[in-house]
Amino acid sequence: MAWYVAKRVATMFATLFAVVLLTFMLMHSIPGGPFTAERKLPDAVEQALVKKYNLDAPLHEQFIDYVRGLLVFDLGPSFKYEGRSVNEFIAEGFPLSSRLGLMSIVFILFLALPLGCVSAIKSGKWQDLLIMFLATLGITIPSFVIATALMYLFSYRLGWLPVFGVSSVKGYVLPVIALSGYSLAFITRLMRSSLLEVMGQDYIRTARAKGLSETAVLVKHAMRNALLPVVTILGPTLASLLTGSFVIEKIFALPGMGIHFVTSIANRDYTAIMGITIFYATILVAMVFIVDIFYVMIDPRIKLQ
Amino acid sequence: MDTNGSPWDRLEIGDDSMETIASEQRSFAQDVWYRFSRRPSALGGAVVVVALVLFAVLGPFVTGHTYFEQNLAFVNIPPRLTAWAIGDSGRYAYMTQNLKLVELSGEGRLLAPIPFAREDLSRKLIIFDYAGTPVSIDYSDRTAGLRLVGPDGSILRSRRLWNRSYLLGTDSLGRDLLTRLMYGARISLTVAFIAAFINLIIGILYGGVSGYLGGNVDNVMMRVVDVISTIPLTLYVILIMVILDSGFLSIIVALSSVYWVSMARVVRGQIMALKEQEFVLAARTIGTSPLAIVARHLIPNCLGPIIVTATMLIPTAIFVESFMSFIGLGVSAPMASWGTMCNDALETMKSTPHQLFAPATAICLTMFSFNFIGDGLRDALDPKMRK
Repeated sequence: MAWYVAKRVATMFATLFAVVLLTFMLMHSIPGGPFTAERKLPDAVEQALVKKYNLDAPLHEQFIDYVRGLLVFDLGPSFKYEGRSVNEFIAEGFPLSSRLGLMSIVFILFLALPLGCVSAIKSGKWQDLLIMFLATLGITIPSFVIATALMYLFSYRLGWLPVFGVSSVKGYVLPVIALSGYSLAFITRLMRSSLLEVMGQDYIRTARAKGLSETAVLVKHAMRNALLPVVTILGPTLASLLTGSFVIEKIFALPGMGIHFVTSIANRDYTAIMGITIFYATILVAMVFIVDIFYVMIDPRIKLQ
Repeated sequence: MDTNGSPWDRLEIGDDSMETIASEQRSFAQDVWYRFSRRPSALGGAVVVVALVLFAVLGPFVTGHTYFEQNLAFVNIPPRLTAWAIGDSGRYAYMTQNLKLVELSGEGRLLAPIPFAREDLSRKLIIFDYAGTPVSIDYSDRTAGLRLVGPDGSILRSRRLWNRSYLLGTDSLGRDLLTRLMYGARISLTVAFIAAFINLIIGILYGGVSGYLGGNVDNVMMRVVDVISTIPLTLYVILIMVILDSGFLSIIVALSSVYWVSMARVVRGQIMALKEQEFVLAARTIGTSPLAIVARHLIPNCLGPIIVTATMLIPTAIFVESFMSFIGLGVSAPMASWGTMCNDALETMKSTPHQLFAPATAICLTMFSFNFIGDGLRDALDPKMRK
């Protein structure tokens, strides 16, 4: 186990290093980008950049400097706004985004798992067909379409929910639903197929044969194994929630990370794009790592190499 | 049926008839087509895609509008109009959202704006001059809303008409939505097909080499794929788009440089499984070069999963393109893309929902169709893969 964790930690850092290197090189290749001299900027920003990134030094030294900054969680100054740092953007936006993401994860799990189970148990019946139809809708319709449709229906037509902002709990309802749409549908389908597969196995027949109630078979025997694929997908789910939040925050005008990212893209605020990308990547790699470790812990069948 | 005597005829068994195959033989392609065409969803998807391609390729020649031509007199006009009868000539007037009047022909064609005369603030009337007769917008009654009144102050008759000049209405710059939708379809489909094709090539090459060589080469190559796929691909695409500047080509480059990883994984897995089989050994024994083994023996054998993965790449590409356009990294104005159209319509969603519904419906329909085709192909090409 310790060896496996060590190996995974090493892979995690290698991945992060690759991400930082890639982002750095990409940003370096932009003409007029943050690391070139040919641009017109406010003097204060220019000086801050030169000072911060040691722009006269050779490339590899600049990179080492940048990595050194990252190690103490310093993502550097903004390229567009005087006296603002990328850290500030993240500090402003991340609480809201993470709250939105957490609510979505909870919403997804509370809805997707029961739906998937119902669908698997009633396989082929109308309940199953209905749930699978909705799941197909959720997977194929892009989040921004779901978001705008919900907004049009519930905010404009019916007037039940606020259009913008999260000043009350009501404000979270539509963003969370819109954000969860894809993952909700995906996990429902995954839960269904995984449970169907498990229910066909011999040990389930054994459990039934020794006279267990159907509920006990389902909850104690089938569910435990059927949940495993769902656990593995949680990492990627988080990824899709994070990137999904770009558009959701834009549509509902929520001041989160996503909107900062989209704004910095529109403004060509290169250092902010770079910093936020690396921040996202770090969170994701860390999440995938945690999920992997967790997975090994709950599934004894996985061979540790 | 012959009712005389026994209904059963004695079958003559001759030497030659024993060897004949009773039913018609079907090739693999016919088999696949048979299984594919038995699924209504897959067949429906294919029909929609064909219709969409025709819509995109031929449509703009039929509409009589261009995607960039602006007509500021006909701004934000919906597909269904409230027409007020003016004069005795069977002509109508349509009240635009910014309180202007447009003359309509009897069948719902937009003719010309009716010139504004003056505003009567005390009687709350905006008066227009329709060929000498005054026609006014009456905004005095809040509960009844805006009404059109004639010269004698009576409310004009109104009816609902379909917009014949702009079938899906116009956008905030007076451009024809239908034509823009068609150009958006062109962009989406071109991006999707090219990106899927490039991903197919890269994925087959990468996965083929990795899978066939195996060992350390495979290890290193797959670690690279692992690293790439840990990060959500959307982030890479955004980064690449930022660097290349938005535009049609950069979307293709961005999509092609990232999404081949899933294809590479599929190809590698298939080749790993196939390369230990006897027919590969036989090919190697007679001195076939590794390249020929991969290209002539292995790849054709895993064509099924490859085609399925490629088909599934198409909706992904369409989605990413519209996503990028939506957050402002897509094709640049005045070119239309479904994503930019959705984005443009977002701000005026309350007053002009038709501008949002048209591209959103197009995106959903396309995504559905390609997904259904993908599902159908998966089951048709490889029944073992069916879940």
